[in-house]
Amino acid sequence: MMSRNSMYTNPKPCKHLADYKLRHGLSGYNLLQEQIRTTPSGKSSVKNHQTEIPRCCFCNGYQKRLYLCLICSSISCSSHTLLHSQCENGHDIAVDIERSELYCVLCCDQVYDPDFDKIVMLKHLMDLPRSGNGVDVSAGRRSSKRRRLCSALELDLKKTKQLVSMRDLRAKSCYPLGLRGLNNLGSTCFMNSVLQALLHAPPFRNYFLTGQRNHEVCRKRSSDRLCLLCDIYVFFSAVFSGDRTPYSPAQLLYSWWQHSANLASYEQQDAHEFFISVLDGIHENGVKARNTGECHCVAHRVFSGQLRSDVTCMSCGYTSTTYDPFMDISLNLDTGNCPSTDLANKSLKPSDNTYVSTLLGCLDLFTKPEKLGSDQKFFCENCQERQDSVKQMSIKRLPLVLCLHIKRFEHFPVRRMSRKIDRYMQFPFCLDMNPYLSSSVVRNRFGNRMFAFEGDELDTSTEFEIFAVVTHSGTLDSGHYVTYLHLKDQWYKCDDAWITAVEEEVVRASQCYMLFYAQKMLYYKANEDLVCQPVSPRADPFLPIAGCC
Amino acid sequence: MRNSVNRPPTPDAVEDQEKEPTLQEIINIKMIESGEKEKLMELLRERLVECGWKDEMKALCRAYIKKKGTNNVTVDDLVHVITPKGRASIPDSIKTELLLRIRAFLASAAL
Repeated sequence: MMSRNSMYTNPKPCKHLADYKLRHGLSGYNLLQEQIRTTPSGKSSVKNHQTEIPRCCFCNGYQKRLYLCLICSSISCSSHTLLHSQCENGHDIAVDIERSELYCVLCCDQVYDPDFDKIVMLKHLMDLPRSGNGVDVSAGRRSSKRRRLCSALELDLKKTKQLVSMRDLRAKSCYPLGLRGLNNLGSTCFMNSVLQALLHAPPFRNYFLTGQRNHEVCRKRSSDRLCLLCDIYVFFSAVFSGDRTPYSPAQLLYSWWQHSANLASYEQQDAHEFFISVLDGIHENGVKARNTGECHCVAHRVFSGQLRSDVTCMSCGYTSTTYDPFMDISLNLDTGNCPSTDLANKSLKPSDNTYVSTLLGCLDLFTKPEKLGSDQKFFCENCQERQDSVKQMSIKRLPLVLCLHIKRFEHFPVRRMSRKIDRYMQFPFCLDMNPYLSSSVVRNRFGNRMFAFEGDELDTSTEFEIFAVVTHSGTLDSGHYVTYLHLKDQWYKCDDAWITAVEEEVVRASQCYMLFYAQKMLYYKANEDLVCQPVSPRADPFLPIAGCC
Repeated sequence: MRNSVNRPPTPDAVEDQEKEPTLQEIINIKMIESGEKEKLMELLRERLVECGWKDEMKALCRAYIKKKGTNNVTVDDLVHVITPKGRASIPDSIKTELLLRIRAFLASAAL
């Protein structure tokens, strides 16, 4: 599958367009603006006030694509545009009437001009029913982008460097910091697998290792109560201590049971549920959230992002937009099945059996416009009645660490049964989230216009690197979780107490359940820091690591 | 100053109007004037997106552009290459649905 452009750069104008702009500037565009009409679905056309249908001035045809000359407003069909340009010197730029798109007659190709698209867009937005539209033409908010960047930098590992000494890297015999097996305490592989991923989420790890969590002054511990954050801090210290013998996270397990009493048992639990519940525990145990604005507990600072949901009325185009925070995104597997019926006579489409699900396919599915069923008619503010509508999700703000959860466990409350979907899903190691951002998705809805949208944060990176994969094997009732960690260009399989280095093919072929991606710059920085070995008086770093091969 | 004297004469549209408009043309014009054509086009677009036809055409375009190189392809090129494949791969159910709608329109417009 072809990747989309990561940078939305404007194409350079051809010399004919540049020439036209020099001579006529925006006057032609402005005159055109009045005649542009947009349908609720977003299609902009040039509609003259004539009662007759537009026809080519040379052949009188009306069936082909028709182009309106920007200078003299004469209409030619695609066969005769060149003729018009030859008759009238300099009449090189025209507009496709049906689509409101610029066309250069001499280049015989579509051309792009942000000024033109801006004018089309403005007209479209002016025509739409007011408020709740979510597309604000005015300059983007500075927002808390700067605050978030500072937050990310705070969680830098610079401080830790002062605590460890620099050592000459002996390559293969030295495993990276923080690689330690975790003993299974009784069907706790669901916990071990998620903990391994959390251990190596760059900003999360840095928070605990740079002593930002000062457990000495923790109020809860001093009054002999359990504190989940302190237990996590102890856990991190133990794993990063340099001691390679498998560790038993018993205290952490107990602490978590206290928090999630309903999940406290020796039964196998869902790793994703554990993940959410741990983050929730951190949030509640941590800094008291302020009433306004975002929460600044480490869980939110690292994992939280914002989703945008647009519901568009199909009759009038009125769009209602809501924003919701998220700590992770749960994705349905894309199966390549189309909802519609007859595809038998298509020679192009491969049979369903050979379709491979991919992460990008799942993300496409997630951000695809979905027609709401007739039982879910949306009450349109503009029409003042319930109408058929289309809903579309997109990502307004990306987190520092993105957790993607693949919904493999299907529950049927009616039939009171659950099953696991074993379908293989292919996933990339480098992920560019740009096409799934609200700015991209909303822009596409308006027909790919060259236009800056509110919240277009071009200097925020959308590139992510994978650092952990939690996989599940077996059935729903009796299964096993294993985590693969990507550290310093090497993959490690973390199967409870056993850690082995593996080839990347093994990881690619695994059945992923949760995928952890970190923002690229954070990932690379974190990996640099793993080079140093702590000077530990207890462990000789060259002793073979117990539990590892 | 443009020399209007050197311009070739505007082609004579009078002759074309003497020909009787065919039935097809009459229907087409009636449909456009009443706005029915617009509605049918919207319906068609919706159906083609639903059944994945649009995505396939997009994939075909991408493949063609990849083969030729981004700078060597124009929109006209793409249209010429894709059109026959596109026309051939429209599902029958969609054709049937649209024909029924057109027939209904004709009945209501008493043609």
